[in-house]
Amino acid sequence: MTTVSRIWQYLKALANELSDQTAYRRHLEHTGRTHSASEWRRFSDGRHQSKYRNAKCC
Amino acid sequence: MRRQPTRIRRLAPIFWALIAVLAALALGVIATNRGEPVNSLWLVAAAASIFLIGFRFYAKFIAAKVMALDDSRATPAERFRDGHDYEPTNKWILMGHHFAAIAGPGPLVGPTLAAQFGYLPGTLWILFGCVIAGAVQDFTILFCSMRRDGKTLGQMAREEIGKVGGFVSLITVLIIMVILLAVVALVVVNALKGSPWGTFTIGATIPVALLMGLYLRYVRPGQVMECSAVGFALILLGIFGGRWVAINPQWSAFFTFSGVALTVIIVVYGFLASALPVWLLLAPRDYLSTFVKLGVVFLLAIGILFVHPRLEMPPLTRFVDGTGPIFAGKVFPFCFITIACGAVSGFHALISSGTTPKMISKEWHAWPIGYGAMLLEGFVAIMAMIAAAALSPGIYFAVNAPAGVVGATAHAAVTTISGWGFPVNVDDMTRLARAVGEQTLYNRTGGAPSLALGMAHIFGRLFDKAGLGQDIISFWYHFAILFEALFILTVLDAGTRVGRFMLQDMLGHVYRPLGRIGWMPGVVATSAAVVLAWGYFLYQGVIDPLGGINSLWPLFGIANQLLSAIALCVATTVLIKMHRARYVWITAIPLAWLATVTFTAGWEKIFSTEPRVGFLAHANALEAAIAAGKITASKLTETRAVLFNERLDAAVCGLLLALVAIIVIDSLRVWYGLLRGSRSNASTESPFVLSTLAEP
Repeated sequence: MTTVSRIWQYLKALANELSDQTAYRRHLEHTGRTHSASEWRRFSDGRHQSKYRNAKCC
Repeated sequence: MRRQPTRIRRLAPIFWALIAVLAALALGVIATNRGEPVNSLWLVAAAASIFLIGFRFYAKFIAAKVMALDDSRATPAERFRDGHDYEPTNKWILMGHHFAAIAGPGPLVGPTLAAQFGYLPGTLWILFGCVIAGAVQDFTILFCSMRRDGKTLGQMAREEIGKVGGFVSLITVLIIMVILLAVVALVVVNALKGSPWGTFTIGATIPVALLMGLYLRYVRPGQVMECSAVGFALILLGIFGGRWVAINPQWSAFFTFSGVALTVIIVVYGFLASALPVWLLLAPRDYLSTFVKLGVVFLLAIGILFVHPRLEMPPLTRFVDGTGPIFAGKVFPFCFITIACGAVSGFHALISSGTTPKMISKEWHAWPIGYGAMLLEGFVAIMAMIAAAALSPGIYFAVNAPAGVVGATAHAAVTTISGWGFPVNVDDMTRLARAVGEQTLYNRTGGAPSLALGMAHIFGRLFDKAGLGQDIISFWYHFAILFEALFILTVLDAGTRVGRFMLQDMLGHVYRPLGRIGWMPGVVATSAAVVLAWGYFLYQGVIDPLGGINSLWPLFGIANQLLSAIALCVATTVLIKMHRARYVWITAIPLAWLATVTFTAGWEKIFSTEPRVGFLAHANALEAAIAAGKITASKLTETRAVLFNERLDAAVCGLLLALVAIIVIDSLRVWYGLLRGSRSNASTESPFVLSTLAEP
């Protein structure tokens, strides 16, 4: 893999992590469920509840 | 840890010797140069070389000798893996995630304000503060939390120091939160005051975020990046819409607000944002602001490397003597509390003991994540310093100095500032304001407008090199304002919500239903209490004739670094309990420095006899002026409010100092007992479990 494509892969993986899309994929794998609108809502509600109990840094 | 090939190992001493020479040379140039403007690349070279040396030698020494990091030991992410909070994550991805969490408006605004002393004091503090204090704090707290199942700073303070320490740190965090929210809101208010373009652009982010929230929940669930791309396109359209608003007389008048009107709007907004469902406003804007933040920081780094502007600000200005127009106080201690987040920030300890320790897959990853991410934050602070120092000093002071210091008219302001030896004239200021699409750029305190000017200047020249011309500088100025306001508003929403949870936790002990996060009367009452608390401090900043930043930013800096002192007390206690007392200087030196700086600054802010520095001296001066009948009837109510606020600020500052003094004294008592053997030093670490995880 070239350096450029490695950097691109890293940036994609970072963006997926920051956007919670990787966490959602893990959630589906962990629970054995498939993607649906209601499943995303269930996941994001739980995710946001824990995420926004912590302060954003200054 | 992977070992390097032999050939690279042999060349390593030569490489590090060259880096050390570069560090010495760059420091020599930026510290000793007088007269000729210095190129900003010297600051970049100094930061890169010093941070590399700090990372490779000091941080690795701490990791290997003091912490004895061990990759064969299972981390909380491996032991409690649940696919949600606890998940082993690739170290570079987690480093990016951690950096995105610790980077906020602080490392941008602090250095911009501290540039009033010249670029040198702030730059040296960022470089050495980061390596010796800030990154050490983040790293050690991450380590402590990682070895304790991902416990929070408050939990660790309670377990390591005692109940008093735990309770005091909780109260301190709540007070800091209130001051932080007020000061960041003040930065936004001062940036948008009298700016229809800016107000429209920032206002447009609210319907865009709501639209994104609905899109993500009902139209394309789970497609966060796609949704963020659409949101980004819409907010860019908002910038162009703002330009149209600014040149249209009716719409321009509709979107032009005074500071007090913006305060009311932002307080109402804060209350609604805290009570609305997270998915509707906060979460979509948080996704968007995270991407924009990382993108703009990256673009700014590229811009500085390609444009490498000269630093127009001298290394030291006459204001090191404490007579600075932006905030009063001598370079020691005020430079060191003005730049908190770029050098050492107590808030980072909350992140290092929050999500990150639950996602580390191998112990050695704490080295780049805990220490390395803080060095990146230091780079952001250096970039902000470059953006501020690249402006002509006359323009920098005209933008940042309050009317109460330089005069309310354009003529008075340029005369005063030119008299300080920083030439500026009315024509230049008028041309600049027109170029960026603003009615005026005088007295725009808070740091955001001057940072936006500096960034627009760099971006404009970068795109000029690319052949796109400098005529879009007004776009870049408002893009920079949007960038700053976007994540400040996210900090405001999230902070109000977290403040509400903390208040509910505390009040739940008094009246149980108040502790339930789903009980609506409790939610409304505690949201209102938190919003009114920071809203009050914001209001006092807005009506303050000295610009608000003069009183609120030092208060915030003191509060933030006192939180850091608490974190370092916890880390020191843990090192002693780990039988690493001989290495205790690693955390004790930054702790002693922060205690000295913050207690000196706090003492001066309360008791200095200079009215622009001391809260009580200013209150007494105002009281004397009222008694002597020197205040006109129309200004009497406002002056009485300022007088009360000065005494309130003195009381808050005194309370913070007292709370942290309690923790430090309590810690000293604990350390004495541990070192003498009269106190149990039983480890609070989780037991060793062998890792079976391959590196992800």
